[in-house]
Amino acid sequence: MSPSESLSEGDFQRLFAAEAEGRLDTLVDELLELEKGGADPERVASLFREAHTIKGGAAVVGMTHVARVAHALEDLLEEVRRDRRGIDATLIDAVLAGVDAIRTLIPLAVAGEDHEAAAFEAEQRLRLALVGPSPGDAPPAPSTAASAAGTPAPSTPRASAARETAPAPPEQPAAPLPATPPQVDLEPAAAHDGETVPHERPAGDGHVAADGTGGHAEPARASATEMLQIPVHRIDDLVRLIGEASAATLRLGSALLERLERDPSGLTEYRDLVRSLNELQELALHARMIPVMSLAPRLRRAVRDLAHEAGKEVRFETRGEDAEIDRGVLERLADPLLHLVRNAVDHGIETPDERRLRGKPVEGTIRLHAMQLGSEMIIAVSDDGRGIDVGRVRETAGRTDSSALEMDDEAALYLIFRSGLTTATRVTGVSGRGVGLDAVRASLNAVRGRIEVRSDPGLGTEFRIAVPITMATLRCLVINSAGQAYAIPLHSVRAVLPPQPSASVGGRPMTMVDGRPVPISSLAWVLGTGNGSEGPAVVVAGLTRSHAFKVDDLVDQRDVVVKGLGELVPRLPAVAGAGVQPDGSILLVLEAAGLIERARRMDTGDRSLEAAEGTGREVPVARRAPSILVVDDALTVRELQRSIFENAGYRVKVATNGEEALSEISDERPDLVLTDVQMPRMDGFQLTEAIRNQPALASLPVIILTSRGSDEDRRRGLECGADGYIVKSGFDQSALLSAVERLLGAEQ
Amino acid sequence: MAAASTPSVGAGDLALLLPVGSDTYAISLENVREVVVDPVVTQLPTAPPVVRGIFNLRGDIVPLLDTGLLLGLRAVIEEPYAVLVDTAHGVAGLVATDMPMTVRLSESVGHSDMEGTTETYLVDDERLAVALDVGILLSPARISQ
Repeated sequence: MSPSESLSEGDFQRLFAAEAEGRLDTLVDELLELEKGGADPERVASLFREAHTIKGGAAVVGMTHVARVAHALEDLLEEVRRDRRGIDATLIDAVLAGVDAIRTLIPLAVAGEDHEAAAFEAEQRLRLALVGPSPGDAPPAPSTAASAAGTPAPSTPRASAARETAPAPPEQPAAPLPATPPQVDLEPAAAHDGETVPHERPAGDGHVAADGTGGHAEPARASATEMLQIPVHRIDDLVRLIGEASAATLRLGSALLERLERDPSGLTEYRDLVRSLNELQELALHARMIPVMSLAPRLRRAVRDLAHEAGKEVRFETRGEDAEIDRGVLERLADPLLHLVRNAVDHGIETPDERRLRGKPVEGTIRLHAMQLGSEMIIAVSDDGRGIDVGRVRETAGRTDSSALEMDDEAALYLIFRSGLTTATRVTGVSGRGVGLDAVRASLNAVRGRIEVRSDPGLGTEFRIAVPITMATLRCLVINSAGQAYAIPLHSVRAVLPPQPSASVGGRPMTMVDGRPVPISSLAWVLGTGNGSEGPAVVVAGLTRSHAFKVDDLVDQRDVVVKGLGELVPRLPAVAGAGVQPDGSILLVLEAAGLIERARRMDTGDRSLEAAEGTGREVPVARRAPSILVVDDALTVRELQRSIFENAGYRVKVATNGEEALSEISDERPDLVLTDVQMPRMDGFQLTEAIRNQPALASLPVIILTSRGSDEDRRRGLECGADGYIVKSGFDQSALLSAVERLLGAEQ
Repeated sequence: MAAASTPSVGAGDLALLLPVGSDTYAISLENVREVVVDPVVTQLPTAPPVVRGIFNLRGDIVPLLDTGLLLGLRAVIEEPYAVLVDTAHGVAGLVATDMPMTVRLSESVGHSDMEGTTETYLVDDERLAVALDVGILLSPARISQ
């Protein structure tokens, strides 16, 4: 039987739909770069090839209407490729409309529905766009908004030449989208990921490229012989069957022990089987992983369209091209992320006039950053817009809930996630679109994710999403508490402590972990299933806090296939899900962040816990944890360092540039400053000098952490007054921690 | 949406009778997937009391709900039977305190005012059964209350 005989027409159509989705994303991405960067012949040729391939594929699978639209698209791009037509707003909009039409038509065709009218309309629009300016007359990147406003098209040299020499844009104050964006405040990585080299993708994540050490690779598009498209359900079946095989192997091991009294771990064949299955499972799970940034084209397009509509100038940057996540999880993130970037354009980024008045670059920036932290993916959507007006949020929420009026700024900020607090009334009065932020949070809950927000008035807003990289399996530590077994994801477990007395600080029970005080509670008490435990304590780390939980005993480590509790069970912040064990029993999987928050609330609400547990022997705790101010404009680096230091028991504050750092220092003097060099507004050298120029801060330890490894830079760093200079290429966690320990010890 | 996938039971329909304490409730047989005897329930800490726990149904995790509390009545004491019900939000188990039986309902003898119920029926010429509106009763919002 030939391969084609084993697949139905529907299978082929679905296969084509999946392929076309990726090609359309590429097409839009390249087109938007073309719009900004000008008529790059290579890019035009690439666009033409994509349209041509879509046309051919559609015709093969019998989607004739899709093929017609793709054909019209191809014809239009062919005119540009042959230098017979210039690039203008009409062309860009027509191609985007063609892409949209194809996106609409494909699922209709798969469903067997008629779509003649939509196809005809899109085809006509593309045909009409064949008439346009000749290449010499066309501006490199006029926008819909520009033409709508009647702005005369700037006369510029040929776009390709413009890109090579990167001249300043011609003076066109009324044009919303300049051909070349301002570059003054951008670090190298931002330029790579943004406009200047838009066609290329960084080989590593943002901070590597920022250091100038990351090269650039060609777009990750392997040849047909290296890639094989497989329907997702086949991978899912594979993952499921391997999971079942693993469970059956464990049952086999139990049977060997119980019936034949043979310990399976002593059998080489059994161990080989388990090892092979584990490897197979890992490979199969990896096959489900796709880059987080595969969502970027859709988001970039949304930013572009909405910005044009609102007359704003917005630059969309991405970092973390290598970050991969389970396809199923990413699918659930598409809508929340779309909502966040639309919010950023709608409510965050100011109009060009407003930005000019505030002394900001006319072009706003929205960044999408992704990075892996343990078994979680952290995805941040940030903007440099006006920030969230917390007072207005509080006032709006206070109309229906008077307790909101009493909240401090941090708590009030989180009111934006409340159901009923609409986008339209939340900040700007601009009408909201799609789901609200409460729905964003609900979508994230469904994938065991969570969202945090930080906003600085006048400077911008950052939403940070944390989701598990895969929903499939989690390596867990299994413990017993109050007669029930629980699994704690191993990536959240910082340490396990033997049974020990705890201290009390301000009436709150604490224990010492690596010389630092960490709150401690009985897990059974926190979960409401019992009182005290006298067994070991498991130190669990969340995004920002650690907490020790006393349990009855430790059982083992195992991989747990984590399942959700279903829509009918209310969201339980302390419970991530549950796994079915080989013997059929259910193992509850705990959620570190929710558990810690619950413990914190219960601790502060009931100080009699230690007395009740009879473990309240007072042990004085010497001092509170030292604080570190991490200064870095790259989110990835900032959060990595935050994680390292918080896990080591330090309190951490962050700043994104030198100016912000000085402001933080004046609010509360940290015990140590760790700063990058290359940052907008005030770099690390200037920051160090500014610190040293203040007598009160003369003894404040400063470490410079940078990619600049030259002797001159090192000398300059030390001349500025830095106490340490660590080069990122030689950076390792323990070296950093020991440098910090050394300096803190010296100071205190 | 829930109502579409969870039809209410009516006169002439086959229904499953759920004994809950001294009361009897009726549920459309179309909504019932199966009855599990003596389910092994794992308690779900921090969940509201109406969620008695979760249990393993051939590899799937199913919540078991306290039928009494769902109706705003007293909590049940034990859970000898779980009636698995299909809802628009997934499968859930409802506790029955005695063995559920199938009957064909005769004409309604009156409307039931209790929230989450519809009509009252006379069954076996001796006891009354109140029909449950699964769409209302088994909604995430109600369970969260």
